[in-house]
Amino acid sequence: MTTVSRREILQASALSAAALGAAALAAPAMASPLDHARMLPEGLPPREFAAAVAELRAIVGQQWVFADADSTLPYTKSLIPDPDHRHVPSGAVAPASVEEVQAILKVANRYRLPLWPISTGKNMGYGMATPASSGQMVLDLKRMNRIIEIDAELGTALVEPGVTYQDLRDYLDANNLPFWLDVPTVGPIVSPVGNTLERGVGYTPYGDHFFMQCGMEVVLADGTLVRTGMGSVPGSTSWQAFKWGYGPYLDGIFTQSNFGVVTKLGFWLMPAPPAYKPFVVQFDEMDDVAKITDTIRPFRMNNLIPNGVLIMGAAYQLAMFHRRADFWTETRQIPDAVVKAEARKRGLGMWNTYFALYGTDEIIAAVEPIVRGAFEAAGGKVLTATEMSDNPWFRHHASLMKGGMTLEEIGIVRWRGTEGGMVAFAPVAPAKGTETRGQTALAKEILAKYDFDYAPAYAVGGRELHHIIFLLYDKGHPAEERKADACVREMITRFAERGWAAYRTGVSTMDLVAQQYGDANRALNARIKHALDPNHILAPGKQGIA
Amino acid sequence: MSRARSLGLTAIGVMAFTTLGALPFAMAAGAQPAQIKPGQTSPEPRSPQRIYAATCGYCHGANVGPVIMGRHLPQKAIMAFVRKGQGAMPAFRPTEISDTELAALAAWIERAPAVPKEHGQ
Repeated sequence: MTTVSRREILQASALSAAALGAAALAAPAMASPLDHARMLPEGLPPREFAAAVAELRAIVGQQWVFADADSTLPYTKSLIPDPDHRHVPSGAVAPASVEEVQAILKVANRYRLPLWPISTGKNMGYGMATPASSGQMVLDLKRMNRIIEIDAELGTALVEPGVTYQDLRDYLDANNLPFWLDVPTVGPIVSPVGNTLERGVGYTPYGDHFFMQCGMEVVLADGTLVRTGMGSVPGSTSWQAFKWGYGPYLDGIFTQSNFGVVTKLGFWLMPAPPAYKPFVVQFDEMDDVAKITDTIRPFRMNNLIPNGVLIMGAAYQLAMFHRRADFWTETRQIPDAVVKAEARKRGLGMWNTYFALYGTDEIIAAVEPIVRGAFEAAGGKVLTATEMSDNPWFRHHASLMKGGMTLEEIGIVRWRGTEGGMVAFAPVAPAKGTETRGQTALAKEILAKYDFDYAPAYAVGGRELHHIIFLLYDKGHPAEERKADACVREMITRFAERGWAAYRTGVSTMDLVAQQYGDANRALNARIKHALDPNHILAPGKQGIA
Repeated sequence: MSRARSLGLTAIGVMAFTTLGALPFAMAAGAQPAQIKPGQTSPEPRSPQRIYAATCGYCHGANVGPVIMGRHLPQKAIMAFVRKGQGAMPAFRPTEISDTELAALAAWIERAPAVPKEHGQ
């Protein structure tokens, strides 16, 4: 069992008396942002920052502006490498309403105060709540937590940014609404709004979250309130029913962007099917990823396999419930033979492909032999709950593929040390075996150069895969943190030399990934940004857009 | 699976939808169903048990984080761990778990007996 050491407890107690005390143990006079030397927005003199903070406190209430180093502490936590401390926020402000967001933006425009919006700030592999550049003030939307509408006939939801998947699950259960959610791997503590806006994925047939999104409300930098799609029509009853509206489709420009603050988001809920059957297919060689890709492609194209499939590498699976030192104590990359042997002991393959069938028993009975036959012909071992019901990894994925709440995958962050450390590099691969084999080989080579292990998950879309490469390191060792930073940058650069770029990235590499998409793309985004946010107060640097 | 049984399953699914469709769950945009108000925006602070089940317990005692129940960890240390994000743990902010809720949660964990079914990793 992992323990919390006495040293940690003593340190924490001391911290609680000082740092935490201001926020949590009493209600002292508000700390001034000028009390101590600290991170401030670039180009904003300290007295102007203090004046802006005073105005923000007048809008949201004193307790909802965090403008001293101590109360800002929870916003600084990040698991990705930041060896030069380039992603430290100056503070945070937490509005409770759209009107408060609009008022905050007025203040931000006047003072040129950069704001970094978050919904729950639990973007684990990409920087949590931390901004693209130091000094930005976090715009924490967690207090905006209303489930505004659930339409039980259409199976649609409209929620605010602070609603978590757990909140929504609890609401559906409490009201006996027969819908499944589609969750990312950290569902209980994250927001459908935040995950969808980052174009995250899940593992049911509704796994492409942005595809299932329908309508949003956005506050632009000048305070203008816009509803996208049918939401622009006064009295519309189809805001959450029809995505495209009329004229240019706008929702996309507010995802992975800094063009506005999304304050409401609509999306579709999956009707709970009468029958559900999860599967895992195991392959034993690293190179088998090509066969898996080529086998699964036609089933995702024709939708016989309807869900967001995960092809889980063995090291990723092991890292969920184990630590590296359980298997390997050398510094260099853990060899495939060791990973394979340890995986086998636990009933896992080198690759573990999780998919599910949904519908009625007749539908599943008709489809299963077709899919099973194809995987078996490719050399895979097809297993179901009959053989795997006691296997914790199978149970985990069987739950995910029906939208179950779990945080078990967070365990991977402690693979190398108790302080945690993880950054995701997620290049897109077309669904062709030659491409996934090439990406796996290149990732292993670069990671080995830096003594990191290859812990991958391929998330299969329709005609592509997100190759999510979790670089697991020990943030408790500064030299290793710096090495991890260099490693992820080399992966981004060298993958791009082969035409492979990330679909999403952490705050420390947003500009680097934007470079891979070329000058014309960047210039267009810059023009839209400047038109919508001429003072560049919203999340400068997000996705490489200043 | 027999045809009769599978038809029965399908019928149950259809019935569920028909019944729900007749109920007034659909609300006009802007209407507020039973509110979910975590954090300080809640009219009533959530109980420590509820917060533990909805947040802490997904990791602690569930093979991801260390067991914390039954170890009589000091309240102030727990509060600091939560706000800082101890080790590999995420930090939780006052907008997620209010100061009032956190103080009660940490006191409850300090006093709590061990839970036999929990296991650490």
